[in-house]
Amino acid sequence: MKALSAIELRRGKVRSFSIVHLKDYLIAYVFIIPSLAGFAIFFAIPAIRGLVLSFTDWNLLNSPTFIRFENYLRLSQDEEFWNSLWVTIQYVVENVPIQTLSSLLIAVLMAKVGTSMAFRGVMIIPWLLPNVVVALLWSWLLDPAFGFINEVIKQFGHGPLPFLTSTAMALPSVVGINIWRHMGYIALMIFAGIQSIPKEVDEAALIDGAGPWRAFFHVTLPLLRPVLAFVVITAIIGSFQIYDTVAIATKGGPVQSTWVLNFLIYKTAFEGYEMGYATAVTMVLFAILIGITFIQMRLMRAGEAD
Amino acid sequence: MLSKKRLLAVALIAAVAIAAVGAAPVTLKYWLWDAAQLPMYQKAADNFMAQNPDIKIEITQLGWNDYWTGIETGMVAGTAPDVITNNSSKSSAFESKGQLVDLTPLIKRDKVDTSVYLNGVDKIWVRPDGKCYGFPKDWDTIAIVYNRDFAKAAGVDESTIGKLTWNAKDGGTFEKFIAQMSLDKNGRNGLDPKFDAKNVVRYGFAHSRFDANGQPTFSALARSNGWKETDDLYSTNFHFDDQKLIDTMVWYKKVIDKGYMAPFSYITPTNGANMAFAAKKVAVVFDGSWMKDFYTQQSFPIAFRTLPAGPEGVKSFFNGITDSIWTGSKNQEQAWKWVKYLGSPEVQGVVGSFGVVFPATQPGLDNSIKVFTSRNIDITAFTDEVKTPGITFFGPITAFGPKIDDIMMQAWDTIFLSNKPVDATLKAANKKVLALFKK
Amino acid sequence: MTTTYRRPMRLLALFVMLLLVLITLFPIYWVVRTSLLPKSAIFSNPGSLLPSTVTLSNYGRLFGLYDSATAQKMGGVGLEFNFLRYLSHTIFVATIITLTQVLFSAAGAYAFARLHFPLRKQIFGLYLGALMVPGIVMTIPNFILVKDLGWLNSFMGIMAPSLLMSPFTVFFLRQFFISISRELEEAAYIDGAGKFMVFFRIIVPLSTAPLGTISIITFINIWSDYMWPLLVGSSDKVRMLTVALGIFRQQAPATGPDWGGLMAGAALSMLPILLLFMIFGKKVLNSIGFSGFR
Repeated sequence: MKALSAIELRRGKVRSFSIVHLKDYLIAYVFIIPSLAGFAIFFAIPAIRGLVLSFTDWNLLNSPTFIRFENYLRLSQDEEFWNSLWVTIQYVVENVPIQTLSSLLIAVLMAKVGTSMAFRGVMIIPWLLPNVVVALLWSWLLDPAFGFINEVIKQFGHGPLPFLTSTAMALPSVVGINIWRHMGYIALMIFAGIQSIPKEVDEAALIDGAGPWRAFFHVTLPLLRPVLAFVVITAIIGSFQIYDTVAIATKGGPVQSTWVLNFLIYKTAFEGYEMGYATAVTMVLFAILIGITFIQMRLMRAGEAD
Repeated sequence: MLSKKRLLAVALIAAVAIAAVGAAPVTLKYWLWDAAQLPMYQKAADNFMAQNPDIKIEITQLGWNDYWTGIETGMVAGTAPDVITNNSSKSSAFESKGQLVDLTPLIKRDKVDTSVYLNGVDKIWVRPDGKCYGFPKDWDTIAIVYNRDFAKAAGVDESTIGKLTWNAKDGGTFEKFIAQMSLDKNGRNGLDPKFDAKNVVRYGFAHSRFDANGQPTFSALARSNGWKETDDLYSTNFHFDDQKLIDTMVWYKKVIDKGYMAPFSYITPTNGANMAFAAKKVAVVFDGSWMKDFYTQQSFPIAFRTLPAGPEGVKSFFNGITDSIWTGSKNQEQAWKWVKYLGSPEVQGVVGSFGVVFPATQPGLDNSIKVFTSRNIDITAFTDEVKTPGITFFGPITAFGPKIDDIMMQAWDTIFLSNKPVDATLKAANKKVLALFKK
Repeated sequence: MTTTYRRPMRLLALFVMLLLVLITLFPIYWVVRTSLLPKSAIFSNPGSLLPSTVTLSNYGRLFGLYDSATAQKMGGVGLEFNFLRYLSHTIFVATIITLTQVLFSAAGAYAFARLHFPLRKQIFGLYLGALMVPGIVMTIPNFILVKDLGWLNSFMGIMAPSLLMSPFTVFFLRQFFISISRELEEAAYIDGAGKFMVFFRIIVPLSTAPLGTISIITFINIWSDYMWPLLVGSSDKVRMLTVALGIFRQQAPATGPDWGGLMAGAALSMLPILLLFMIFGKKVLNSIGFSGFR
């Protein structure tokens, strides 16, 4: 019963703000104005500039001319774009569930089994290495000619595996590398969520006769919803923007099997000098992310502020 | 744009003003990407500043990718360096966007002698319309690099390695050489009929991933087979569907199947053939003279030898870099002075004495050869290719370089990793390349 | 802990943990192993777990112990490198950004979670949107802005875009703030406390875990940021550690990375932050970890 009341409190049954005064508005704006200023200057204005540029033929060094929807029309018929989109979706679909589940598992282990600081410290180490170093390190460990992992495989009498050099294995290898770097870090966020669940809730459930599994699925997990929603949404957004690992370990290949959207955007903008077209691709990516987040917020009901 | 006269006037007024006020000298920003070359250009800058107290040279070195990102954003924002170290694969795009100063009027005005450069290497920087974007500062060619321990163990007569022959049909003596340098699990080499191509522990030969030009890779054999990438330096008529190129690729597939050459899946895009060579998993590679330090620093003995001669003789990709002036520079007259100085025999001599790159003038090159001889490194394979006429060739100059690379790299993957037929794949790829120019 | 998992379950869990630790640490060990090898031995014996020869010269190069000619003979870049100097730049920038960004983002997050004001949902939606704009779009306009402000090659230029907020931080904290029970706040309001009082005296102390976590995350994100500090701060007097280490991985067009120097740099730059995490993180996470939420 105790548990229930805690949940009710959490849902925010008590409302005392039915009458709002102008003064309250002003105070609220004082709270958001610093962040709003940062947002406007360094996020909103550049993004709007980007949107405008997507309707131009800007090549970085000319003065842009307005060309209406030409970039978007071209994009709709661009095989390379559709391939990139497909590759990126595959990446997200492979990456997000595995990453989230393994992070959840690690977080639970952090909270219930390996409560020592050392375990948390160890799990976060890969994330302390810059992306670029991680990509180089793994492309070395996985190298067919002199990588340690392939040396071990050779000991078992098997030929070297082309982890990063075959169309079948390249994308899953990139997924694996990124999960290795991020799982401890995401686990830490979920762990922080588990820690902020009042102990009483957990204990109450156990006293009520629920086993640890039941308590986890019926009490802990629902209370983790806002945190999990956050983790999944940011993981999807982050995965859609994967770049470094691909740019270093596979260079988009073999045969464009890892030619993800951000790689296409970067190549188009800075090697092809088609900045206008690149921003159009970016805007499509942006629209996709907004759509997905919107649906997700609805599904996970993460937006329940009051 | 300011006219040259006005510019001069401005510079003069500025000079007078500086003299009157005794103000700080003009600062020129100069960028380069090769850390190994930083010390020698720092020395050149020090000499230059001693001679020109009114100019201060500020050198920044960044890694290759960061370097170009910095240049591009700098051009957009108006903060690019006054003088940039320039590479032919990047230059066309900047030229077509009006970012580089045409030096021709300045060369004429100051009567600079451009005939001092070796083997016409300055031609990479002179366009068909007569515009010139820099003086060559160094050059590079391609040679065979092999592991001498392996050659001795395999019983190869090392004196023959600089005189190997090759053809697309039976691979000539070069194929025999790489066969002999291969090793299978049972200790047999490729000349042994019982050689086990499925269980190779050391490949005789390997290439890094091919791009469109194949500079340190396939261009040596394909060109020696008579292939021309384009009709001439500026032509947009690409020939990736040429039978001579197709035959070369078919030969590559054959030696890969025979186990003499590492399959494409064996060499990753990050770790090129040079690293597999360093790891002693590969015995022979082709590579450019800019890589010579990498090889001489290995713990085992290596040697550089002239590339194999195909039906058309030895063919070696010839390239070099230059210093160009950015049109956005506010001190173009000073920048020109610095560029002129960098191309001068004096600096070429300094560059040669550091023994890092090959200078573009004969006296500079002689300096450099002396340094290598004193270090007991035989680099004649690279320099001989320049001395003998008809060996070196330039890659095509096009603003679509990166796009063509993307198309061709996909084609090579399709051929060598997905095992699709060579001729159909190359014909399709060539169509894509030609289509780039029709837009 | 108080939970009552049965023995075999616990053993299995410990086994899984061991496996996770192994997977996590092995590549890190490889970084350290490689950083101890001289150039000539980097590629020999790829299958052996221990380094064949051990040298500290890669670390020496990072601290600028050798002149450029010696460094080049070791197979490195012929550059003077001052690790401590770049480290101090990074610590300075990351500390300031973490303090201001977390403070202002928390204030914003609190407003979105608790306060009522016109356009609240819309503004929050925009913030969320900012999380989704691929970074590449914002780089060039921001670069031009910073240049126009005259902040190129200054710490201000490096810090500016992250100083006031990050959409990620606001979103993260808001998700935690919504799940805080309202009881205490209500009581405080009845006692006559204002919004600021409630924020600083109730919300902030109740949120040490998420605030600590997001501070660590922010700090490390700034720590490993590469592209932006490279563009606005390539000059030596403001160069950040990641930018400085960049030269070890791409010396010349076609040369491979300077593996020894790169790995030594990576290992060394992990150390201070790991230490920081151990000290700072322990305080934050343990205090709430065991005493419960209240």
